[in-house]
Amino acid sequence: MPIVLVTLSRVFFFIMLAVSVFILFRGHNEPGGGFVGGLMAAAAFATLVLANGVEAARRVLRIHPVVLMGIGLAMAVLSGLPGLITHASFLAHWWIELGSAHLGTATIFDLGVYFVVLGGILCLVFRLYEEAIQ
Amino acid sequence: MQFELTIAFALLGAVIAPFVARLAGRWSGWVLCVLPMALFAVLLAHIPLVADSGVLTTSHEWIPSLGINLGFRLDGFSLLFGLLITGIGTLVVIYAGAYFSEKPPAQAGRFLSLIMVFMTAMLGTVFSDDLIVMFIFWEMTSLTSFMLIGFDADKKSEARASALQSLLVTGSGGLVLFAGILLIGMTLGTFSFTEVLARSDELVASPYMPAIAALLIIGAFTKSAQFPFHFWLPNAMAAPTPASAYLHSATMVKLGVFLLAKFDQVFATVPGFGITLVIFGMITMAIAAFEALRATGYKAVLAQSTVASLGILVMLIGLDGEVAVVATVGFIITHALYKAALFFCAGTAIHATGEASLRRMGGLARFLPVTAAAAVLASLSMAGLPPFVGFVSKEYLFEAQLESGWNALPVIVAVMVNAIMVGVAGVVSIKPFFLNRSRTQSVKHGETAGLLAGPLILAGGGIMMGLFSQQAAQLLIAPAAAALFGAHVDVSFALWHGVTPMLILSGLVVGIGALVLIFWDSIHLFLRRRRILHNLFTDRGYQHVLAGTLGMARNSTRWLQNGDQNHYTAIVVATVVLVLAIGLVAGDGVVSLALSDDPWRTSVAVALAIAALGAIASLFAQSLIAALVCVGIVGFASALLFMMNGAPDLALTQFAVETLLVIILSAILLRLPVRGGHTRSLTERRRDGFLAVAFAGVVFIAIISMTAMPLDLRLSEFFGQTSYTEAYGRNVVNVILVDYRAIDTLGEIAVVAFATLAAWALLRSARPNDTDAKG
Repeated sequence: MPIVLVTLSRVFFFIMLAVSVFILFRGHNEPGGGFVGGLMAAAAFATLVLANGVEAARRVLRIHPVVLMGIGLAMAVLSGLPGLITHASFLAHWWIELGSAHLGTATIFDLGVYFVVLGGILCLVFRLYEEAIQ
Repeated sequence: MQFELTIAFALLGAVIAPFVARLAGRWSGWVLCVLPMALFAVLLAHIPLVADSGVLTTSHEWIPSLGINLGFRLDGFSLLFGLLITGIGTLVVIYAGAYFSEKPPAQAGRFLSLIMVFMTAMLGTVFSDDLIVMFIFWEMTSLTSFMLIGFDADKKSEARASALQSLLVTGSGGLVLFAGILLIGMTLGTFSFTEVLARSDELVASPYMPAIAALLIIGAFTKSAQFPFHFWLPNAMAAPTPASAYLHSATMVKLGVFLLAKFDQVFATVPGFGITLVIFGMITMAIAAFEALRATGYKAVLAQSTVASLGILVMLIGLDGEVAVVATVGFIITHALYKAALFFCAGTAIHATGEASLRRMGGLARFLPVTAAAAVLASLSMAGLPPFVGFVSKEYLFEAQLESGWNALPVIVAVMVNAIMVGVAGVVSIKPFFLNRSRTQSVKHGETAGLLAGPLILAGGGIMMGLFSQQAAQLLIAPAAAALFGAHVDVSFALWHGVTPMLILSGLVVGIGALVLIFWDSIHLFLRRRRILHNLFTDRGYQHVLAGTLGMARNSTRWLQNGDQNHYTAIVVATVVLVLAIGLVAGDGVVSLALSDDPWRTSVAVALAIAALGAIASLFAQSLIAALVCVGIVGFASALLFMMNGAPDLALTQFAVETLLVIILSAILLRLPVRGGHTRSLTERRRDGFLAVAFAGVVFIAIISMTAMPLDLRLSEFFGQTSYTEAYGRNVVNVILVDYRAIDTLGEIAVVAFATLAAWALLRSARPNDTDAKG
């Protein structure tokens, strides 16, 4: 592996991951959101894969991408339940006001989207690069 | 009555069963049986209420837009079924606990859990008033019985095949039933059975009537294993014996009979309904009796006798008159009692000896004395001897036949079939337990209390109901018969009616039956040795249909999915071109080229030029990597275009997708041989070129005509105005995704997740030798 890429990949990884989280959370008011954020985070992990190999990226992720996908899907479903109870309408979101910012179940939903996209793409990237190297 | 609560209570049993099995170990059956027993008690308490008022109904709105209500109905007939389901269910749970006591708790827990789910589904089916709700529970019984029959799927391949067969037969029958229910709903505008019953004249007068009757009959016949669907039930004995006892006696197969009996009032005036039932019932009886003579396995003989009994019930439903109704109800109870008891005894005998064939057992009364006694009692009821309830119900069977307008044919068939049933009763009780003592020298398992409770209580119940038949008639049979008949029924269900034609027929049956029993071995061997008989009434038709369907699937897959990616892409692109072209021609038909009034923007022109260059360069690329990069350029250029036209979200996503696409595709390309030049022939390339140009053409025309249309901005304005006030977000695109249209997004991410999962699994199988499960 080229030493420059390996060294810089760590830095890039953290920057890209931070940006992806930033994009995820600012998505409600500015361009961004869970989908793009998830793609960006997947790109961050892909950088690690390209530089350090699949095993390294797996270690950083800690959990299996399929599990991540499941967690995301579960979060999206669960975020809709409070609305079902109070408004008798699934996915009618709850909100709390924190100064000028609003936090609500919609944020959990978007986080779910983020995880599904991240997990889904990493499933394929990990598998394909493992295959490719062998 | 709290129907939802009753059903939820049964379902609770399914949830806690695995934990009970783990904690209570070999006592799990005794612990878990408290639940069905409580339900049985609750239903018992409703007997006086139902006897007085007739029908209890409740209804809650469920899917009002489709006119579906969570409607439930308790009448004498459904109460009787509820009692059988919970009562025999209690005994099955106790028996299963003992039967699985030496197996790992996880296995026992799974089995008990399935039994409780099955009970839930059965209760739901018999208590539903809304036909759609009933259908849902009906299908639930098919699914659960699939799992019960295939319980030992890891050990026996025939269990798997039988489970699949029962699911295919009863499941497709369920769909036929569903079609019939939908037709009823279309005709009457309601799915409530109570209302259907009240407006049956209207239904009978409708032109759909023959179709409705035929569909319901087919649905019921598949479930209750009537000819020509009689083959699945004997195969279903691959299930563990406690499940067989439940499936064959009080549940599952009785549902078809339940449905027919319930709709008999509605269809009473439909010409041909009763005749059809009588004819098919008789054919089924005759085939099953014949097959019972040929069967060798203990459970197989019993299974064939169940099919015969179901045929008798279907025939009784087809006969007119009060007596036939009473006979139906009486025989349902009688059969449930003795058949469950006999299956329990069979299970104990098979469990003890490890043999399934009747020929390999003998003299078991030495080792299993109480089971032997129960088997004898139950089989006496089956043979229809006084003072057992089976005797009373057989008298009624003959009375119903003699009183109906039919000729002597049903009587002759019934006498013959019942005589063989007498023989069967003797064979399953006397032979394995008292004769041929040399066959079995020792047993692996003895009797335990759990294995004895079921058969003893049921066999005892058979005598008690015969001795106290008047009381049983008042409490159970009269309300059930009244519910079926639609009016009060005078039931004189008594042991002694004097010397009547029925008594003479009963005597004849017992006489011939005794002869059958004495000459059983010679008849059996005679029929077994005739090779021609082997495949006469088996599931040959089913096998042909199954093989044909699979063959069709194979051929169509070979043709459609030939593994050539170019072929797939060509089909997809050609379809899109065709559909778009048809849409454009069939639409307004006016395709106008509306030139925009916007000023010339150099930046946009540059982005477009880059995209065009990328596309053209990809045509001349010599390697796949180069082509990939060229296509990537087109993608990035379109992202630029999105950005310039005020769609930053789209642009951002496009950038990210393009990046990841390159990463993923390069992984695939890394595995392909680097090859210069093209592998495709000139003709193929010409076809590809033609398709590509056509695709570009229709998309271009479609976009042009779309932009030429006046833009409706109402939705955009609504979202723009309300996105912050309603959903506290200024990014309208994101607010639509996570809030206004969140359920669409949920669907989309679910699709993404499942599609990825499938792709991931397929990629895994590319390495067959890799047993490493880390993925």
